[in-house]
Amino acid sequence: MSFEVLRDVAKPIIAGFGITARRLASEKVTIQYPEERREQFVRTRWRHVLTRYDSGLERCIGCSLCAGACPARCIYVQAAENTNEDRRSPGERYAERYEINMLRCIFCGYCQEACPTGAIVLRKDFELANYEREDFIYTKEMLLEPIRR
Amino acid sequence: MAAVVSTDTVKVTINGVEIEVPKGELIVESVKRLGLEIPIFCYHPRMKPVGMCRMCLVEVGFKQPDGSVRMMPKPQAGCTLPASDNMVVLTDTEAIHRDRKGVLEFLLINHPLDCPICDRGGECPLQNNTLSYGPSTSRFIEMKRHAHKAFPLSQYVTLDLERCIQCGRCVRFTEEISGDSQLAFRFRGASMQPATYQLTDFESKFSGNVIEICPVGALTNAKYRFRARPWDLETKPGICTVTPCGTNVWFDYRAGKFIRLNGRTNEEVNEEWTADRTKFGHDFYNSPNRLKAPNLRTETGFKGAGWSDVYAEILAHFEGKGSEVGVITEANLSNEDLFMLQKLFRKGFASQNIDHRLSGGWQSFEERLENKLGLNTVQTTIAELENVPASLVFATSLADEQPMTFLRLRKGWFQNGTKVISATSHPTEVDQFAHVILRYKPGTEARLAAGLAHASGAALEGLEKFNPEATEQATGVPANLIREAGEILREAGARILTTHSLLTTSEGSVACEILAGLAHKAGHKFSCLGLKANTAGAKELGLLPDTLPGGIKNSNPGKDTRQMLEDAARGKLKALWLVNCDPLTDFPDRDLAEKALENVEFLVVQHHQAIEACEYASVVLPMTLPAEQDGTFTSSERRVQRMAPVLSAPGEAKASWRIFAELLLRIQPSTPPFGPKDVMEEISREVPTFAGVNYGALDGPGVLIAQPELGEPNLNSLGGTLSKV
Ligand code: SF4
Ligand code: SF4
Ligand code: SF4
Ligand code: SF4
Ligand code: FES
Repeated sequence: MSFEVLRDVAKPIIAGFGITARRLASEKVTIQYPEERREQFVRTRWRHVLTRYDSGLERCIGCSLCAGACPARCIYVQAAENTNEDRRSPGERYAERYEINMLRCIFCGYCQEACPTGAIVLRKDFELANYEREDFIYTKEMLLEPIRR
Repeated sequence: MAAVVSTDTVKVTINGVEIEVPKGELIVESVKRLGLEIPIFCYHPRMKPVGMCRMCLVEVGFKQPDGSVRMMPKPQAGCTLPASDNMVVLTDTEAIHRDRKGVLEFLLINHPLDCPICDRGGECPLQNNTLSYGPSTSRFIEMKRHAHKAFPLSQYVTLDLERCIQCGRCVRFTEEISGDSQLAFRFRGASMQPATYQLTDFESKFSGNVIEICPVGALTNAKYRFRARPWDLETKPGICTVTPCGTNVWFDYRAGKFIRLNGRTNEEVNEEWTADRTKFGHDFYNSPNRLKAPNLRTETGFKGAGWSDVYAEILAHFEGKGSEVGVITEANLSNEDLFMLQKLFRKGFASQNIDHRLSGGWQSFEERLENKLGLNTVQTTIAELENVPASLVFATSLADEQPMTFLRLRKGWFQNGTKVISATSHPTEVDQFAHVILRYKPGTEARLAAGLAHASGAALEGLEKFNPEATEQATGVPANLIREAGEILREAGARILTTHSLLTTSEGSVACEILAGLAHKAGHKFSCLGLKANTAGAKELGLLPDTLPGGIKNSNPGKDTRQMLEDAARGKLKALWLVNCDPLTDFPDRDLAEKALENVEFLVVQHHQAIEACEYASVVLPMTLPAEQDGTFTSSERRVQRMAPVLSAPGEAKASWRIFAELLLRIQPSTPPFGPKDVMEEISREVPTFAGVNYGALDGPGVLIAQPELGEPNLNSLGGTLSKV
């Protein structure tokens, strides 16, 4: 009986402490998130951003190619025509509405690949948690890069 | 033009497979028989080939008597090459692939390739052909040709010159199909561009078609501009409900919202064309004024109410009131809606005050051709106009009122030499190809009709005094033109076409009788065509005060539209129901309409939009539009076609047939129809001309309903009519 207790309980515990003791000497990999953050891989694909040209004009021309390429069908684009008084993007056309349903998005990056102007890009912000389902519909205002000064 | 030229056949060998094709058939068509396809741009099966784009190149040779094949040294354009005996065609050789690449490379040299913002992107033949046959990279590094982008050719059509590949389809459409010859090419070579002659607006009643046949995004739809991409859209088949022709269309919608219309092929009706009235005339689906919930008037104004409350209110004012209540409906509701409407009034309210005519033409039962002369009002079909020796277009602007009939008539003239007589008081599109133009003084229709009957030698009683000289006196049409027209009408087999707008003129009814009599005597066919999407159905289904479904005389006739409005104005009509119509705008006498709506005690306005008449309403009922419900429509040539639901109804709006059925159920408990299909079954049981029409039979080109049994024609009364003119 006591032999069995020794073999099945005490021995594994001691062996486990042994592993801990050995690991204490090696480099730590756990970090103190969210105070500390890990550097991400260059190709990490998370939250989308609609980028701008240096001039401040939007790159997106509302062509819907991203929506066509999206396997989750979670992009909605509605285009409108630029006027000289109210110019949003170079050329004739811009996106009046641009929405992504982040609940459905699988972060495959096909939208970025399809985009002819490089407007939609997946960047590294991965903290997308929220309380309401509606809040996961990212509108154009949320996605658009602020104008850099 | 791709049509078979003769019935002889020849043997051609295409890619090693020998087939027999009609002699003279174009090779581009012959290859389709083998399931092959040649890429094309400028060729269009309904227009003459021009060989402008060279996309359709094939290698051609001829079998020699000794069995060898002698190939022609250069590739040939398949769209201009008629099939002949012993021809050998190769469509899939290395040389041909190289040639196609070359042609596409040339086309793309000056092409802007702004596909992402081009409205054609995604359904563009140039994209498709480039993907399938073209080079994958460009060697062209020089400056491309630049031109004005988004030039408005008209309020409907936008031209982007940079994208034009100069195929000439649009130019040929206006010359060969619509006949207005509005477009032509200016300049030559790389600067060649389609434009109107004087750079005026592109004014055509069929301009929308060039958008669909342009193989690139050079001509685009101004109303659809940037509203969606093809892959955003869902598409369902439907029919046009703003013209009486029953034009087949595709409804494109996005997220439940109607976006655009395109033509759908039905060889019997519209081939593949649409009129601008059809293509650009369905904006009401997106109107901001759509009615979404029933409304009851209270002391303080309109108040939203549930359907059961408004039903109770309506029943309180209509049930058991008999001839004190009435209904006026527009004839653009479905057959099922109309049938249930007359059933509700006849069976439920015991009222015969039912009418679908708003703007005139109030013929009584006895005055109708069927009952007076024993002749049918509509004897022709659209498709048969292609192959008739002659046609007389009488007192109608055909391109406006019957656009698809107009296109067929013109096709008959263009391809088969139909001799067309245009008899209208004002210039119309038909004049452009008419053999004889008879321009008469407005109001002399009957006298001109009689003059024509006289000149064509039809043996009708009482015609003697209408010799060409006397007719010239009366109508202002030169006697020699009347003789010439009469000469054309001597040969049997002509089609005489007019519309209900003739009936609204002072002599129209008589003219109609004379023309029908003339047609009968001389072996022609006559049609007086309705003007609304379902005028023919309304007439057949008894939406008339003196006629029951199936054209049976009503022994206890009710009041027509004018009488109802007069009674309402005098306070004699207690309750009036307006279905999808506004007498304030549609009835010729606005004062009377206003008085009627003011004085009637209880007014039900059933409509899809907030219209002016709603101001006077006691109850406002929201109804669905044709594409939001199931139903069938009878076009002016008496063709029944199905309009299956495409969009969902806004708010609480209900299909009209359902409103009527639910009310009827409250009056007479019985098994209600569960859908329009059941209503159609009832119609085909009760209305002899609709026998055999059911939803199963309506796939495909639709069903022409039978002509009523009329017995022997009786033209005796014509003499009396003529003597009165
Ligand atoms: S990442 Fe993929 S799933 Fe997400 S929006 Fe882009 S294409 Fe769609
Ligand atoms: S993000 Fe790119 S692909 Fe998407 S609509 Fe804008 S321009 Fe087109
Ligand atoms: S016409 Fe076709 S190929 Fe040309 S820009 Fe438009 S979509 Fe692209
Ligand atoms: S506008 Fe279109 S249809 Fe007309 S010639 Fe140019 S490419 Fe052809
Ligand atoms: S399709 Fe034959 S030359 Fe254009």
